[in-house]
Amino acid sequence: MHIEDGILPASACVAYFGVTAAFLYPAVRQINKRVRENPYFKPLLAMCGVGIFVISAMHFPVPVTGSCSHPCGTPLAAIVVGPFATVLLSVIVLFFQAVLLGHGGITTIGANTVSMGIVGTFVGYGLWKLIRKVNGPVWLAAGVAGFVGDLAVYLTSSFELAYSLHGHVSFWHQWMVFFVGYAPTQLPLAVGEAIFTAVALQAMASRRPDLLPGVSSGYKARVEAEAV
Amino acid sequence: MSSAGAAGVAQVEFFDRFTKTMLFVMLGLLLVIFASAKFMSYEHMTGTGTDDKVNALAESAARKTGHPFVELPGDSQVAAFSVANFFVGIILGYSVHKLFVKREGMEPGPAGMNEGMEPEGGGAG
Repeated sequence: MHIEDGILPASACVAYFGVTAAFLYPAVRQINKRVRENPYFKPLLAMCGVGIFVISAMHFPVPVTGSCSHPCGTPLAAIVVGPFATVLLSVIVLFFQAVLLGHGGITTIGANTVSMGIVGTFVGYGLWKLIRKVNGPVWLAAGVAGFVGDLAVYLTSSFELAYSLHGHVSFWHQWMVFFVGYAPTQLPLAVGEAIFTAVALQAMASRRPDLLPGVSSGYKARVEAEAV
Repeated sequence: MSSAGAAGVAQVEFFDRFTKTMLFVMLGLLLVIFASAKFMSYEHMTGTGTDDKVNALAESAARKTGHPFVELPGDSQVAAFSVANFFVGIILGYSVHKLFVKREGMEPGPAGMNEGMEPEGGGAG
């Protein structure tokens, strides 16, 4: 999903920067609110930031397709620190990956944030909330969020490329051409991201449920029920 | 992570449970990477990143080449990434310590805060 500099037209880059900018004010507000509510939110945010940096730069080889790709880490971060805060973390991570790794680009930070930081984040977070609302277990909600969130990132990247570059070719055809470039390698990695997200959240839920807003109430009820 | 010594001084173990688990997971992942790489080498697969593949596809569709604004030459990219990861590791460890290691005299917080957390130094002190 790391689109390089010079591929997207300038107008598209500006548009994606605009979309990203619209999410930054709510992000700062969400961070300030959560910091006031929980003093442990700051180290949690730091942990998620560096976690996304490493996870989304970790290229795993997929022998079936003969290529490598990486998970995203944003669905997990969205559940832990909130979706808007994750957008801000993504902007910072993508900047450092562009500068230090040559991964992605400076002009495409907006486009890459829209795919990894906004769509992947909100799709993953939405599914987490939905499954938790119907009392789905933490591991299932987290796993589905990780799997679908990961694929949503790559669908969006393909969309961004196809929308700007389809030319005389049908947009849908071009979109699928780009997505098929990602999908065979990304599918097994999405399964890996689902497992990782489920294990990480299940571990957090059992150790520090107070850090997970959607989990702490259920945990409190269970503790109270056990006490009775 | 450590156990109390005879004189009440914490003894830090080389391979405590946490370290063993982390090493086990790391070795498992490295095994998968090496096995996959060996297979790809045997099958003459290139092993390039999908990002690069799709960017190349996009370059041909756009009929122009990508041009990174910032690109570190040669091994300096490895150096930059290593330095970043070194500090990432430190920040991650520091944050994990703050969040998941119980300090002496720590009160159980609301909604089970500190519940199930091991005391810092494995209860020594």
